[in-house]
Amino acid sequence: MTPNGAIVFTLVVVVAAMMSRMSGLVVLYLLCALFAVIEVGPNAAAALRRAAILMVPLAAFMVLVWVGVVGRAPADIAASQPGSRAGALVYVSIVCARLFLIVAIVQIAAMRFASITPLQFIKLLRAPMALKRLGVLTLSLIETLLQAVDRAHTALIASGVITRRLSARNVFNGWVLVQTVWLTAITSVTGRMRDKWPMEHTLGLLDPLLAETRKDPLRTPDKIWISCAAVAVAGIVWGDFYGLP
Amino acid sequence: MGSREFIAGPNFSGRSRAVHARAQRFGVPTYFIGPYAEAALSGLSSTIEDEIAIYRAKDRAADRPQFGAIVTDPHRKPQTLSGGEQVLLALHCFSLSAYRALAIDTALEQLDTANRGDALRYLDANSSFDVVLTDNRARPPNWTCTQLTASGTRFICNWEGVRGKIRPQHAPTIAIQQLSFGYRPGQDVFSNAAVALERGRAHRLFGPNGSGKTTLLKILVGALVPRSAQITLDGVAYEPWRSGNRALALATQNPDQQWCGATLREDLARRRAALANRGEADALADGRVADLARDLGVPSLDQHLYELPLAARKRISWLWPFAGAHPWIMLDEPTVGQDDDTCRELARTLDALCSAGYGVVFVTHDDAFASAVPHRVLHVENRQIS
Repeated sequence: MTPNGAIVFTLVVVVAAMMSRMSGLVVLYLLCALFAVIEVGPNAAAALRRAAILMVPLAAFMVLVWVGVVGRAPADIAASQPGSRAGALVYVSIVCARLFLIVAIVQIAAMRFASITPLQFIKLLRAPMALKRLGVLTLSLIETLLQAVDRAHTALIASGVITRRLSARNVFNGWVLVQTVWLTAITSVTGRMRDKWPMEHTLGLLDPLLAETRKDPLRTPDKIWISCAAVAVAGIVWGDFYGLP
Repeated sequence: MGSREFIAGPNFSGRSRAVHARAQRFGVPTYFIGPYAEAALSGLSSTIEDEIAIYRAKDRAADRPQFGAIVTDPHRKPQTLSGGEQVLLALHCFSLSAYRALAIDTALEQLDTANRGDALRYLDANSSFDVVLTDNRARPPNWTCTQLTASGTRFICNWEGVRGKIRPQHAPTIAIQQLSFGYRPGQDVFSNAAVALERGRAHRLFGPNGSGKTTLLKILVGALVPRSAQITLDGVAYEPWRSGNRALALATQNPDQQWCGATLREDLARRRAALANRGEADALADGRVADLARDLGVPSLDQHLYELPLAARKRISWLWPFAGAHPWIMLDEPTVGQDDDTCRELARTLDALCSAGYGVVFVTHDDAFASAVPHRVLHVENRQIS
């Protein structure tokens, strides 16, 4: 599979997840499970774990708000119905199932390319050069921020401003960490842009590096997966038309 | 034949500016290796493999051999390499590139003796590119030398004043046993290492680039959690990663990695607040640190740290350990970017700190500096400290 195919497949699944009801979600879950098993194998477990870590806090918050506080589903509120906590729970379950599917398919697709570097991934994309450059610069900024977090964390722990463990001190001084991270990130970026890039014309090296070498943007597995997703979307639309739940 | 130019001079004589100006006169894009990660690496890659791919050129000069070999995991993030390893990676990338000119600003100071020798031999032996270099430790004998002189009177240190403000301390003995640590499974930096650090003495951590010297300092201040370790201060268990750092003042290799604020006043106020409940905050009283800052060449506590030149930032990064809030002083590559006079005075100051009861640990590849400080050598190599 190519990065182009993975991105198209993921986009189709995400759009389908956003428009589908419960029956559609079941179909999409089956499709994603098949994709995970065939394309990613055992590493899919790590992707699912990451998706769960991202989703659990949000799900807990939604349960707290909709089931615990509001006690009714939005549809009941709109129809001025009394509603119930059970109805609210069903609503939260569907929303969470949809969001989990979206996060999971993105993680699974990313895991599919774990063996290649981010730069190689961007190079393989069939996209305008400007977009590819933007992708590299975005990744660069993310790396700079991660590095800034690490540096600021070390500086503040060494000086005793924060601790490694959870503590009241961390709560009070959390904003110091944020300020230090920003200062570090900004000085890293400005240092690079002042000293290194202008002298080297470093950004000019990206264009030949990111230039496409493959003529066919999609391979057979890409076409098969994209077709499967398209069929699933058609099924969801058809089910919606005939009023499936 | 490519030109070879060495820019010599004391701190604040405009050497970095001269390096940039010379690079402009090359008239071609010039590969630049600065003293810290921001200026040594491209910042565009998230793996070592990508960093090399960015610079690797199909049309590089046929007579330019490859410099060194990357022996670490190619998927590792380049920013996680030690300072010396980053410089080696940068030289490796240059050797694979099509650049016809190279500018190096005090970066070679971070290399151990063997690697620095290899780097200088590489630069000497290849004629396919121009080089401009400034460095406080290495001075290639056959290069054209441009000598600069100090300009102005900014950032002048009063070292007698610094030494006169040393508060007596009674540093505890630090005993480390069964220290095991690794950033990744199966790649230990330390395995069952043990060492004792004695009060009133200076200790030099000595080992090749990437052997774990800075990692040890980070463990001792609580920034990294070892897989196992028994650390005691005068026999009392000490776990800084759990209870916080209460004994060691660390000045990092890159001074910008230790600031807790944008100005010196803000930085020190936060350190003081962190020390308040331990009764050690008076070491960082405003008047005292203002005097110390002046002695270290910075006249105002309201000075924005990032507006200082790098050499001045490095010096002012010593204020925190010299203030005496903690009994152990740890300096990571203190001489990077510092001229000979400053190194000499720093060595005398470390000696004075030891006499005042502090314990000192320093990491350096600068043998001349180390020889000026009476010290015990601790070899950090092969996952052990001996």
